[in-house]
Amino acid sequence: MSTGAHLLLIAVTGGTIYVILRLVRRQVLRAKYSLLWVTVGFGLLLIAAWPALLDLIANSLGVNYQPALFLMLAVAFLLILVVHFSFELSRLESRVRTLAEEIALLRHDADIRTPELSDDADSISDEGRDE
Amino acid sequence: MGSAPKTMIVIPAFNEENSLPEVLAHLALVVPDHTVVVVDDGSSDRTYHVARRSGVNCLRLPFNLGIGGALRAGFRFAFEQGFDRVVQFDADGQHDAHQIIELLDGIDQGADLVIGSRFAGVGDYNVGRARYAGMGVLRVLVRALSGQKFTDTSSGFRAISRRLLGHFAVDYPLEYMDSTEALITACRLGYDVREVPVTMHERSGGEASNRSFRLVYNYLRLLVVLATSARRKAPALGENP
Repeated sequence: MSTGAHLLLIAVTGGTIYVILRLVRRQVLRAKYSLLWVTVGFGLLLIAAWPALLDLIANSLGVNYQPALFLMLAVAFLLILVVHFSFELSRLESRVRTLAEEIALLRHDADIRTPELSDDADSISDEGRDE
Repeated sequence: MGSAPKTMIVIPAFNEENSLPEVLAHLALVVPDHTVVVVDDGSSDRTYHVARRSGVNCLRLPFNLGIGGALRAGFRFAFEQGFDRVVQFDADGQHDAHQIIELLDGIDQGADLVIGSRFAGVGDYNVGRARYAGMGVLRVLVRALSGQKFTDTSSGFRAISRRLLGHFAVDYPLEYMDSTEALITACRLGYDVREVPVTMHERSGGEASNRSFRLVYNYLRLLVVLATSARRKAPALGENP
């Protein structure tokens, strides 16, 4: 690998770690994800800075072509992550649905207590809808 | 059974301000003793206000959940309010309020789910050829999976017993083709599912959903759901009289 490409790789990986750390500091990312990405980031930085490490690992595992090992691990990792996100997304969606039902039921309770439906009430409740 | 059973009619409505007044007026005339609940499924028109002005209960969902989601909200309300029987009714005016009585008769005779079938003999309901073929596939599928023969698996005109309501209030199929899925689920769980012939009017508003890609996708999805539901333990709300 040329020195230029080497430096670029290190810079990009370092930049990624920096962005993740910033997100964590601003508390946009939950701790469990930040830990995950910071770990991955430092792993990549290590390989970027010292490519021979990958050769070493590949050799010890008996893999002849090092990039194949790297890509296989990366794909496996991302696949697991995506499945995990699908799971979390399904759970969140089901919770949002239940909350929406709960809101409708509560609003109905409130409606019973204020049986008069004035036109003022219409316009106020319509403003809150953003679709 | 000492007192008369409490009956609720649930009407999922998404942008149905035009057809709703007539439907509600007709219900008030034909079945004045039943409680009517409109579930406004995140409509952007005045569905909610139309329903409330008509003097019926209205559950207003903060955003669109789809028909299955709207129904589940209605079922949950019915269960919490202690209703004994629930009738699922369309907001677009294609169901006939007079036939509610026939559906409820089935419940009183011990059924848990009574389906108003468009194809069981009475009336002449026309659907497109592609849609009819799709329904045919569904019929065969449902027959294979439930071991029972139904002529109309996707009808949205149904009556439900309190026993089944406890189940549907927490676990009702939430995606498109909810009615077929619900039918098979009920059969699988050992509920008594029956069919009675009904007639249906032309829709007074809205459009039938029959995009073919969506249909194929949903058939496949249904298969997955059924394959995985076989051994699943079904959640249900306990009976509290």
